[in-house]
Amino acid sequence: MSFTDNIDVAFETIDKDNLSVVRESALTSFKALGLPSARHEEWKYTHIKTKLPETLRLAASFELQVASKLKYFNSIKGTKLVFINGDFSAESSVILAQSGLTVGSLKENSNLYPEQFEKYFNKATDISKENFAALNTAFVRDGAFIYVKKNTIVEAPVFVFHIYDNASADVFTQSRNLIIAEENSDITIVEDFQNSTGEKFYNHVSEVYVGRNAEVNYSLLQLHNPNTTSVNYVEARLERDARYHITTVTLDGKLVRNNVNAYMDGENALATLNGLYIGKDANHIDNHILVDHRVPNCNSHQTYKGVLDDGATGVFNGKIFVQKDAQKTNAYQSSKAVLLSDEASMNSKPQLEIYADDVKCSHGAAIGQVSKNELFYLLARGIDKDTARGILTYAFANEIIAAIKLPELKTYLDEKLKQRLNITI
Amino acid sequence: MLEIKNLHAKIGDKEILKGLSLKVNAGEVHAIMGPNGTGKSTLASIIAGKEDYVITAGEILFEGKNLLELSPDERAREGVFLAFQYPVEIPGVSTTNFMKAAVNAKRKHHGLEPIVAKEFLALMNEKRQLVDLDKSYLSRSINEGFSGGEKKRNEIFQMAMLDPKLAILDETDSGLDIDALRIVADGVNKLKNKHNAFLVITHYQRLLNYIVPDYVHIMYDGRIVKTGDKSLALKMEERGYDWIKEEIGV
Repeated sequence: MSFTDNIDVAFETIDKDNLSVVRESALTSFKALGLPSARHEEWKYTHIKTKLPETLRLAASFELQVASKLKYFNSIKGTKLVFINGDFSAESSVILAQSGLTVGSLKENSNLYPEQFEKYFNKATDISKENFAALNTAFVRDGAFIYVKKNTIVEAPVFVFHIYDNASADVFTQSRNLIIAEENSDITIVEDFQNSTGEKFYNHVSEVYVGRNAEVNYSLLQLHNPNTTSVNYVEARLERDARYHITTVTLDGKLVRNNVNAYMDGENALATLNGLYIGKDANHIDNHILVDHRVPNCNSHQTYKGVLDDGATGVFNGKIFVQKDAQKTNAYQSSKAVLLSDEASMNSKPQLEIYADDVKCSHGAAIGQVSKNELFYLLARGIDKDTARGILTYAFANEIIAAIKLPELKTYLDEKLKQRLNITI
Repeated sequence: MLEIKNLHAKIGDKEILKGLSLKVNAGEVHAIMGPNGTGKSTLASIIAGKEDYVITAGEILFEGKNLLELSPDERAREGVFLAFQYPVEIPGVSTTNFMKAAVNAKRKHHGLEPIVAKEFLALMNEKRQLVDLDKSYLSRSINEGFSGGEKKRNEIFQMAMLDPKLAILDETDSGLDIDALRIVADGVNKLKNKHNAFLVITHYQRLLNYIVPDYVHIMYDGRIVKTGDKSLALKMEERGYDWIKEEIGV
């Protein structure tokens, strides 16, 4: 038995809201698509069907001291949106008001900004094809609504914290963001999923619109517990001269699937898609990346790095589509993984489909071990083998974190990475 | 301090060292010269503990201990230091952090607490000046984007930080301009004392004008074929290696 058997019953329990029409068509899509089986090409290495909980439910809201849960919460400056067990917590959130900026609950704002929802909600993601995006759309609970008006430079970063309690089991949440950065605006967003124990399943969708000459810096942190299963869609559409930088950092999780997609809709847009993942024990981490060059003169860079130890598995699928009209495209992709044990494995699949004839595209994929020469150099200075391997692994992984612009975030992640790799330099 | 007896070693099926013997006492500087491919760098790598080689006969004693039974990191902590011919670049690790890990590994081995931050910074500052290395290099990734001369100076800096008993310089002078050579040699001369020893591997006599050896060994085909004082190096420079080949009858 799985939750899909009771999906209509579950759907009946959702309150009617402004999103009801979209929800219904999404439900229809999801029922037609079903859950992806292992025969589904895009889910070949990630067998998710058997991992899902039987029910679609969420534990009751609970109170918690956000400040004690997130040690860096108080030390950072910025807007902080807090979602507790999927619900927006106004009491825990801190909003630094600025003219031209709206931040808050998606659910509340869907009533306040019907025009923007009409124009942007569910337009970046394709629910006729994407099983989990359809499911998310039908059952959206809440998430962040971030709306930056034309010419607004958002001074402080916006943090979106998703916190889940420890006790409730089989939690399956559908969270959803809508991020709109209008022409000439600029914003930095950090989204952070945290929990400590218990089986959790997140199905998360984030839609991002980067307007003409706007810039969005977006970091998605997955510092999960090892019982977390998570499917994420980060779907971005870029208009002319837009700049978009997305970094995903996955440091744990039972099964994590990231679908990070960027659609180049306007000329001279730039997308940087970076990712770091550290897998241990039986972690399974899957990054599916897509950059769709639809118009000429755009640039995209994908840089993914992974470290896999014990019996962990990794998947990288990086697609670059260059459509017929997208001349003078410059697209680059690199996927590198280090395997620290004989049982760890990595499946890497670059996929370039190029229909234009005047383009520059390159890709590289490497799966290997820590360099013997580098290791010997450290050993020859008296550093023991385990520490030396740790240092080299850290050095390899740190490139992704070093590229993050926000200094406080960089420091925070650097520490988390060292902890995860058990090194103390 | 170091005693190598009848050492035979191979890599794959190729025999490289064919019965090498050498004795180095504390307070001495030994130079090893010889043509390319004669096994000089192999000897340096084997003393430091590189795993690519198989020792088929002989032994190496370091302060009476069987060196071949120790792992490379244990050897380093016991006081063996190799200045690499080709120092590797390691992006993502700063020289500062690297040295902190190395200094503390050695201290732990000798039953000492980790070095306190202030003391460590003072030590770094003192030692980097020995080889005229700018402060900014220490916070940069190890050797990343360094010139050949900067890499070699960084090796001597690391040597100074770790204060080894036996330092092996593997062609540290190759490819250095005269200014860099003088800096490196000055650094070595300042570190030299009666408790430590240096094994200087080189192609060129030039280095030995700056680091004056007590003994010069000529290595040929996996063995030391001739030993003398510093005048032997000058003779080599004058007459080339063919003279040695004739003398030993090959």
